[in-house]
Amino acid sequence: MKNRTVMLLALLLGLIMFAGTGCGKRAVEAPTDPAAEELTEEEKARLEEERLKEEMERQALEERRLQEERMERERDEVDAEARIQDAMEEITANRIHFAFDSYELDADARSALQKISEHMKRFDELRLVIEGHTDERGTAEYNLALGERRARAAYEFLVLLGVSSDRLQIISYGEENPLVDESNESAWAQNRRAEFKVLD
Amino acid sequence: MIKLRFFIFLSAIFLVVSLLPTRAWAQDSLHIDIFGPGEDRINAFVAPPRDLQSEVLHNPELGSRIYDGLQSNLGLLPFLTQVNPEHILGGPGVEGVRGRDIDFRKFNLSRVDLLLTIGLEQHAGGPGSVEIRAFEVFDQRMILGRAYDLQDLDQVPLMLRRFCAELMEYLTGNGDFFRSRLAFERKKNGNKDIWSVTPQGNDLTRLTDLRGITLSPAWSPDGSRIAFTLMRDNEHHLGIWDLEKGEEEVFSMPGNTVISPAFSPEGRLALSLDPMGRPDIYWLDDDYGVDETIMEHWAIDVSPSFDASGTKMAFASGRLGNPHIFVHDFEKGQIQRVSYEGRYNTNPSISPEGDFVAFTRQTPDGHRIFVVDLETGREKQISSGPGNDEDPAFAPDGYFVAFSSNRSGEYRLYLTTRNGDEPREISTGEGNAKAPAWGLEKDF
Repeated sequence: MKNRTVMLLALLLGLIMFAGTGCGKRAVEAPTDPAAEELTEEEKARLEEERLKEEMERQALEERRLQEERMERERDEVDAEARIQDAMEEITANRIHFAFDSYELDADARSALQKISEHMKRFDELRLVIEGHTDERGTAEYNLALGERRARAAYEFLVLLGVSSDRLQIISYGEENPLVDESNESAWAQNRRAEFKVLD
Repeated sequence: MIKLRFFIFLSAIFLVVSLLPTRAWAQDSLHIDIFGPGEDRINAFVAPPRDLQSEVLHNPELGSRIYDGLQSNLGLLPFLTQVNPEHILGGPGVEGVRGRDIDFRKFNLSRVDLLLTIGLEQHAGGPGSVEIRAFEVFDQRMILGRAYDLQDLDQVPLMLRRFCAELMEYLTGNGDFFRSRLAFERKKNGNKDIWSVTPQGNDLTRLTDLRGITLSPAWSPDGSRIAFTLMRDNEHHLGIWDLEKGEEEVFSMPGNTVISPAFSPEGRLALSLDPMGRPDIYWLDDDYGVDETIMEHWAIDVSPSFDASGTKMAFASGRLGNPHIFVHDFEKGQIQRVSYEGRYNTNPSISPEGDFVAFTRQTPDGHRIFVVDLETGREKQISSGPGNDEDPAFAPDGYFVAFSSNRSGEYRLYLTTRNGDEPREISTGEGNAKAPAWGLEKDF
């Protein structure tokens, strides 16, 4: 039964080959086929061996390529991590400062907020808490409200620059967390600020 | 809670001495008007304690505790001058603690107006009983006599506060200074918690332990709760400390800020919140949810303070560009501006009678406490530094004013009066102490 099928297939193949002789190109290939059938067992084994060797080499190459791709991907990830780390550091370093009893954003503050908004747009996974602080010269409760005004001024500017409000949170610390714990003009100027912290 | 037993003496026993000649107006001779324009002063003297049963004092430690404590309490009353024992002609001692045993003439000659005696009686298993009497020297009349049965030496400060409350009540018409407690912020190890102490500096107690920054304590009128701001985890919260539970509860509020809670005399809580994106003053309901707006403005509105009738609320507002003090009259629906001088006026505290507002004004030398008469608009500076004097708070008697000052380098609590009497430091231990708030001691 099985032999008959093989014979039928061989006959069919022969017919196709015969029909194909009309095409010049095929005519060249056709004579090689009978030769292959005449390969010795030894040669078959050698060919098989070569084929296996080629296959192994191909696989090794593929492995190497995958390895390189993986490394590149990891390099990119590290780069992205480094870039986001840089962005976070820059955001944190961008404190903005205010005049006494004021929550008005000056030119420096606006340009700092511009930079922060760019980072926020580049890395949309970042979320910020904006802290409003005052110097120690006012009184605690009013300062708590003034700190809120400062944080909100920064918040509203960032929203205006296109940062989504649900990525921003504000808190006022009033005079409770001075940057410089001294009582002089320079310390007060540094303490009247809004700070930006990246939320985990 | 250890109880003190009170005995009210039969006044008849002590009125024996008043059979001696008296003047017609003598009945009220030692009553003083502490709110009057020129403050009266009276000379007081505490006689050394005596044993009721013998010539020798059996418990000298108890005796000196009471003697020192009484002098210290009376020393806080600016209208009393304590006479130096060396200035008593014929020596400071008394033959006995009762009127009939006292040689009033020598005290009269030494210009003593008010004489206090302390009698001790030893009991087995306890410090014993104590009798304290106060006499008007000129009339040789006892004005107050109380006996206390002590179970423990630690009860001495409470006993003295009770006696002094009644004495001050007799002299001035209001003894709440000795029935009050102060809550305040104290900084320790980077955290700020709420503590309490008596205005006399006794019984320093830590109330909260929240590992955050707690600010602006305010007592409920019945003395059962303290509301405060808690900053923790990048958020403001409302904290409520409950006397009966002995612990605090923390509530989230709409918006980002929780500033300056204050109770009305009916026990309603008001505070500054910013759900509209700006600090306005709101009423809360009984479950600490937002009820209704009291004061709404684009500018900052903080620090509500209510008078005892609940018809007036003082507050600080930035509506004129700089912070100033205003009074909102709920009945008239009017807002009155009360500070005109200076560019930074905050921390209002309205007197219980609703006639004065104490507040902090920034001066070139630092913050100072001022009191403004709402009737006349006249201002009086009642503190003079150095450093910053802040957070004035009217006592329930409308006479004393507590405030914080860094005159010593660190912030400490001080007592003065609305007349600007010499400030006295209240001992609160190490660490900055700020934001004193008066409350009446529950079940005093």
